[in-house]
Amino acid sequence: MNQGKGYEPWFIGLSLALVLTFLGSLVWGAVSLPLNQVFEVFFRPGARIENVERSLRQAYTIVWHIRLPRALAALGAGAALGVSGAIIQGLFRNPLASPDVLGISAGSSLGAVLAILGGLASMHPLGISLSAFLGAVFAGAVVYSISRRPEGTHLLYLILAGLAVSSLLNGLVSGILVISEEYALSQFIFWTMGGLDGASWVRVLPPLPFIGLLLIGSILFAQPLNVLSQGEEQAFSLGVGVEKVKLIFLIVASTLTALAVALAGPIAFVGLMVPHGIRLLTGPNHRTLLPLSALGGGSFLLFADLIARTILAPRELKTGILTALIGGPYFIFLILHHRREGLQ
Amino acid sequence: MSALLRTFDLGYGVKVGRKEKTLVQNIHISLEPGKLVGLIGPNGAGKSTLLGLLLGYLKPTQGLVEIEGKNLRNLKDKERARTLSYLGQSRVLHFPFTLQEIVEMGSYANPDGLGFPGKSEKARARDALRYVGLEGLRDRNFLTLSGGEQQLGLFARILVQNTPIVLLDEPTSSLDLGHEAQLLEMARELALEGRVVLTALHNLNSAAEYCHRLILMDKGNLVADGEPAEVLSQERVEKSYATRVRVGNNENTGSITVTPLPRSTNRGPGKVHIIGGAGSGVTLTRQLYLWGISLSGGVAHELDSDAKLWRALGIPLVEVPAFSEIPLQTLSQAHQMVREADLTILCSFPFGRGNRGNLELARAAAQKGSLVVLDEVSGTCQRGFYAPGLKEDFDSLQSENPPVSYEECLETVKKVVHEVAL
Repeated sequence: MNQGKGYEPWFIGLSLALVLTFLGSLVWGAVSLPLNQVFEVFFRPGARIENVERSLRQAYTIVWHIRLPRALAALGAGAALGVSGAIIQGLFRNPLASPDVLGISAGSSLGAVLAILGGLASMHPLGISLSAFLGAVFAGAVVYSISRRPEGTHLLYLILAGLAVSSLLNGLVSGILVISEEYALSQFIFWTMGGLDGASWVRVLPPLPFIGLLLIGSILFAQPLNVLSQGEEQAFSLGVGVEKVKLIFLIVASTLTALAVALAGPIAFVGLMVPHGIRLLTGPNHRTLLPLSALGGGSFLLFADLIARTILAPRELKTGILTALIGGPYFIFLILHHRREGLQ
Repeated sequence: MSALLRTFDLGYGVKVGRKEKTLVQNIHISLEPGKLVGLIGPNGAGKSTLLGLLLGYLKPTQGLVEIEGKNLRNLKDKERARTLSYLGQSRVLHFPFTLQEIVEMGSYANPDGLGFPGKSEKARARDALRYVGLEGLRDRNFLTLSGGEQQLGLFARILVQNTPIVLLDEPTSSLDLGHEAQLLEMARELALEGRVVLTALHNLNSAAEYCHRLILMDKGNLVADGEPAEVLSQERVEKSYATRVRVGNNENTGSITVTPLPRSTNRGPGKVHIIGGAGSGVTLTRQLYLWGISLSGGVAHELDSDAKLWRALGIPLVEVPAFSEIPLQTLSQAHQMVREADLTILCSFPFGRGNRGNLELARAAAQKGSLVVLDEVSGTCQRGFYAPGLKEDFDSLQSENPPVSYEECLETVKKVVHEVAL
């Protein structure tokens, strides 16, 4: 394989895939819309429904109030998960790491449960997202401060602290659920499956600009990450402020994951699978790996959501179930592949 | 010339349980540009720790490192990387970057931009790879290169980093003979360009050959600092490395050589005396020494390689000054050894006025019935006779004791030792 080179075709291919899956998410669903109607309403943002032709009103409502926010949520969450996965893998120098090692899922679960029980979830559509986001960031911060030592953070301690904090928080969540009402239990379980249903502009719009900024920022600062992935001693000798860069990228990766959780609930495997697959295709240079992971993650989640919505239409599968169903076998394939050929 | 890098009372310790374990202490060194300096010492002497301190990766628990009069710890990350470059021992890499990409990372600390390699950085990386001879492997996955190629690649990265101070931690450990010479040659060239180059080395012979100056460390302390010939004294090396060595000169380059000696095993029963000279007994001595046979040697002339070897191995010997005749008193010491020996072996070497006594010694052994005469074929030199009467004496000796081959001689030794053991 010729690494580092030849990423342009993948860039074009993935961009195309993103546009097509995005368009597909607007066209297909419980009701399929004609393509020309979709185009027609798509370029009339913010129009008052009374001013829309009667024949286009259904399409207008479906595209602008249901499918577009949902597609943007899928795109944003997928891109965020892909990039944060790539960052965590680079930071931990392990192609099989994922943001979950930082205890982020467990933290967001706790946040979600508290929002459901505390009534925040029913008070505001953003309630459960915001609380899950805060829970994720909180867990990440606790894990980091536990593993911090005077001479810096050791990656092994980060992983161990992540495991410990995860099991502690998961225990808390289970404990809370045992004593909670049935409706809260089912709402929580529904949330943990990860889904984009009910994505509304109120819920989708706030996280998107942050995701965009963090993506651009991390792509700009990809070279320190490249150097850091050579090992800390080498990175230090080449002029990387190791602790500073590590801390910044940990914050960026956990915030991206938390934002993704806020958009789509916990979505399994995207953060692991997408960057790993892209690294196999175009090499480990984060300068290309990060943008391609954003494109790949976005397209993949759009695609998974499209399948989830249409395969049993008019019923819907949860998107998280679908990514797990695709991700599990992919992971097994990776293990078998590596067992045969050795790790690269 | 003024020092570029200086340390003052530099020390580093780690906490092991409640106790503080000192890894390096009281290091005062100053390094001037233009010299290749070798850092030597046994495993665990603190070489890598010292390099880590000089790099700034480890924070000194005592003292400080100064670079051009500035405390190293006050330098910003990129500023530091433009001053010091480092080639460490750990090469555990995880992602399949290409060799070219790895080498380009040497320009990360360039003052402009976000650290991405631009056109000129890429070109410099290519030049560096050409210089170390790896241009053809540019697009190869770094992880699939051989250990030596990886090491040379990382050295190319040092060239790209282009710093006035270069620290190398055992750069030759995974290199074959040719690549080791190539790398040390390049390191010396870097130094001669006016940089400080400090390299930890295990191979004392290469260190003596290539370095202008050696720093010997032992148990965290600086033990000696100076030119190779000063630092590598037999006594000092034996003490630091806890190994018996022979310090000599390389016959081909004139530099110091340090050779470890085989550990003396328990000497068994059976004593053999070797009459040698002109290096004729070296092979035999080594073989019998390894068998664990008690040996004695002589009479030999000082500076003769037989005498040097016997001395180095701690074998009792009788010695006279070079080119002198053997005085009676010395000869009687040798006679004593022959009397005590179960077997005496006369190696093949020329006789002259100086070593006439050795022929008498052989005759004494022959009378005792314990003489073996080695033939000329097995030896390193011919038997010549350079004084009147010697040839006749030897002929009468060999009529009673026909010369034997090296193999037959070893058989005889085995037999005699076996008999003595019973």
